[in-house]
Amino acid sequence: MENKKLVEVKNLRTYFFVEATDKQITEHTENFDEKLNALYAGDKYLKGKVPAKAVDGVSFDIFEGEVLGIVGESGSGKSVTAYSITRLIPDPPGKIVGGEVIFKGKDLLKLSFDEMKDYRGKEIAMIFQEPMTSLNPVMKIGDQIIEVLLKHEKISKEEAFKKAVNMLEQVGIPAAEKRMKDYPHQFSGGMRQRVMIAMALSCHPALLIADEPTTALDVTIQAQIIELMLRLKKERKEAAILLITHNLGVVAETCDRVIVMYGGKIQEVADADSIFENPLHPYTEGLMSSLPDPDKPKQLLQAIPGIIPHILELPKGCKFATRCTKVFDKCWETEPDLIEKGKSHFVRCHLHG
Amino acid sequence: MKQENILEVKNLKVKFPVAGGILLRKVAEVKAVDGVSLELRRGETLGLVGESGCGKSTIGKAVINILKFSSPDVDISGEVWLKTEEGEVNLLSLSRNEMRKYRGQIQMIFQDPYSSLNSRMTVGQIIEEPLLYHTKMNKDERNERVAWLLEKVGLQAEQSKRYPHEFSGGQRQRIGIARALSTNPKIIIADEPVSALDVSIQAQVINLMQELQKEFDLSIVFIAHDLSVVEHISSRIAVMYLGNIAESGPGSDIYHKPIHPYSKALLSAVPLPNPKLKNKERIILTGDVPTPMNKPSGCGFRTRCPIAKPECADSVPVLELKLPDHYAACPYVSGN
Amino acid sequence: MSDKSKEEKVSTTLFQKRWKKFKSLKRGYYSFIIVVIFYIFSFLLPFFVGRDALIVKYEGEYYFPVFKFYLAETFRQKEVQGEANYRMLKEQFKQQDNDNWVLMPVYPYGPNENLLDELTEIPPTHPNNVHFFGTDDRGRDVLARLLYGFNIGISFSLIVTILSYTIGVSIGSMLGFFGGKVDIFGQRLIEIWSTLPFLYVMIILSSILNPNFLLLTFVLTLFGWMGMTYYVRGEFYREKARDYVSAAVSMGAGNSKIIFKHILPNALTPVITFLPFAIVANIFSLVALDYLGFGLPPPTPSWGQLMSQGMQNIEKWWLIGTPLIAMFLTLLSITFIGEAIREAFDPKVYSRLR
Repeated sequence: MENKKLVEVKNLRTYFFVEATDKQITEHTENFDEKLNALYAGDKYLKGKVPAKAVDGVSFDIFEGEVLGIVGESGSGKSVTAYSITRLIPDPPGKIVGGEVIFKGKDLLKLSFDEMKDYRGKEIAMIFQEPMTSLNPVMKIGDQIIEVLLKHEKISKEEAFKKAVNMLEQVGIPAAEKRMKDYPHQFSGGMRQRVMIAMALSCHPALLIADEPTTALDVTIQAQIIELMLRLKKERKEAAILLITHNLGVVAETCDRVIVMYGGKIQEVADADSIFENPLHPYTEGLMSSLPDPDKPKQLLQAIPGIIPHILELPKGCKFATRCTKVFDKCWETEPDLIEKGKSHFVRCHLHG
Repeated sequence: MKQENILEVKNLKVKFPVAGGILLRKVAEVKAVDGVSLELRRGETLGLVGESGCGKSTIGKAVINILKFSSPDVDISGEVWLKTEEGEVNLLSLSRNEMRKYRGQIQMIFQDPYSSLNSRMTVGQIIEEPLLYHTKMNKDERNERVAWLLEKVGLQAEQSKRYPHEFSGGQRQRIGIARALSTNPKIIIADEPVSALDVSIQAQVINLMQELQKEFDLSIVFIAHDLSVVEHISSRIAVMYLGNIAESGPGSDIYHKPIHPYSKALLSAVPLPNPKLKNKERIILTGDVPTPMNKPSGCGFRTRCPIAKPECADSVPVLELKLPDHYAACPYVSGN
Repeated sequence: MSDKSKEEKVSTTLFQKRWKKFKSLKRGYYSFIIVVIFYIFSFLLPFFVGRDALIVKYEGEYYFPVFKFYLAETFRQKEVQGEANYRMLKEQFKQQDNDNWVLMPVYPYGPNENLLDELTEIPPTHPNNVHFFGTDDRGRDVLARLLYGFNIGISFSLIVTILSYTIGVSIGSMLGFFGGKVDIFGQRLIEIWSTLPFLYVMIILSSILNPNFLLLTFVLTLFGWMGMTYYVRGEFYREKARDYVSAAVSMGAGNSKIIFKHILPNALTPVITFLPFAIVANIFSLVALDYLGFGLPPPTPSWGQLMSQGMQNIEKWWLIGTPLIAMFLTLLSITFIGEAIREAFDPKVYSRLR
């Protein structure tokens, strides 16, 4: 992969400040660094609350032309990571407390709210799990796409209309010109997701963030959307897609590289082939083996034991220690570093230290 | 060695009226289930798969006879025969009061672990409730049973004083399972019991259900949209499309050698966790699932079917035996 | 290790959680405490504000006029007819300077007591250090009337609110639970009922019958229950479609169990969040009716009646000013309570993107 870096995320930390019991407050507020101390001193809202470290020191790159997948279960921090890149973190309770997101040479986290507006939609676009909630129900979909175009590009209304029709055709909506006048509820779930994609791509963003784009869809419709995304990827070589999902099947079908997250940290990064063929982290392994495999003889599934601990009760050492079957003393004490193990295959585990 | 049937569904039709106008007259109807016959054998798991709107959940709710409660105007016809010790009984012919007698024997697990537990009741009260209706146990006996059930589903007996919001999704689903098992039912209708759960938790719950099935000698109707999960847990599978069964047969046969064009497309659409298969030949169905309100005439699948013929519009295809114990509702395909 | 910490965790119900949130909203919580204390205090008013003495020691015997009626003759009070006048008695005993004494409440004037004999000017008189808020046009003490009026106002409004909510919740539950034809016809009947003009009915009724506390409660309840039915009906529709209700049906629960054990506890959110505002509205209705003269029969102490006096004697500022301020403070603090309850029940956090 000789492509250029498009986005560089460095040591990103996004915390959510939540109410906690007294015991949790003493536990979680003793090791504050300067930055957190300053934050707490300057904000009355934070009194009596502790930081839940949803994303805690995440670094990765996104290269041009690739599909990068972030996999993890609910609460792993995968969505928060993506939302932090576009700075769509509701505040309160959330805050991006540290790190950098370098996009085309600029640190997005240092921009003002208004400057950020120029990036959202134009340079970085998002599509969401439930398209109905992200489309305006009382506006014709044509008008919604035209609105985005007019906001970010200096073109006339007529040009914008033509372009919108063109976009809808590209994402495979039949009779696109006629359907411009329809409202979101007149579309089916799959068609709505296509509209969302058309809208997201209308300004040719360099980065498309897709948050569980197929989860709400039926299998046959999901296959259509996956195929559409793969086709768009081929057509737009300079752009990248960041795909957030919990569905390993979708990852295998679409992604070039995969990040596995757990407990707000990256646990493993590798290209898709090596993640699936040679998972190094016990968590990644556990995820793979908990899927039923119809080609193997029937037996009980190899489930990962236990439940994801509450975000304030994650272990001090390795975040996965409470559920890991290969856990040993060191795992409880120190958190392993993310180290390179094989060609661009990184893993955070003492077994590989 | 074929086990006897414990539950038989015969020609089940469920129609929801669509009301309109000021007087809410019936202006159309949704044929959610359109003539489905199924049999559940003792001790087996019957998988019911299909996309949203295919009627799989409606079948589950019709079998357990709770559709009339939430939509009083629903039109249900057909028969649901339950084998009990006193002989067979057609559940659909019973009034809600008469039905209560049989509820202990056939229980349901719901999809959403959040909305299926009453948030104002403690876990103990939730699990205990069926015991109040179906047994004459006293308070101590009930408490003992609740504690025993909690441990059976992998929770702790002390947790019975807790409220549902203090549990994670997977744990809540375990509570739902404990509630369903409390009266020692023979049949469990599991409506998408793992769809809302994380992958690793999903595996735990599936394992739990399989263990409990052996221990309690349960017959399960497992409703889901995830084919690989259904294949894993079911001995037989019925694939549904728009209120009809497209294909039914032994689980691994359906998974590995689907006959009906819809099952074939459905299977090839499932994304597999193996990048090597990325470029496999897949059948991408065009278009959307038609709504059950304006279902195509004849074969419901013909608008998306890759092998559709003009004749498909004429009559609804019936399930034909294509291979041993393997049926498909399409006259243009064969088992070989 | 982690098991231990789990055991320590106390199980909290949703209600406890909301109560905790409510307590953290200082403005509403303090208003709540103040209003509750005031209301409880207002039941003990005869011990603090009133014309009847607390204790009288007369010729070696103790009398408790707060609890019992004594004729003036009991204390050989010649110049008074009917019930004894204890303020006068106190003066008499002082002059006689013997063992007899009278313990009066802190503020020794009753709400319905006519003070024409004691007043030096023609009432209404200005506020002074005897009558803190002055007297009204019949020479009655304004402060005493205000305080007793508070008790009557709140009690009345509580009773009306509870009654109309009981009816509203019951009927709303029925419509929502049974749905179908019951719902359609029920709603139409409610709509017809809502169009009855309340004020006309009230005026007609009070011209035929003599308005009293019971009649007023009855009429206000009759016209006040409809609003709640819409909310409860909606809640029932929503909750009924949720899986836990289906689960209860599939377990074999009967209708009454489903309504009372399952749906109702989950459908009470609007009832509780609207409660303070309904109380405010009912206090206001009573004041308005009293003001117009269709309210509680005289001489019941009431804010509305004071205000109407004030309107007739517009230059006597204390007649209109004091009840207005009292009403404003009461309604404001109840509104604060309502606001806090609403916020405690609202799961959303106010947040924005930065």
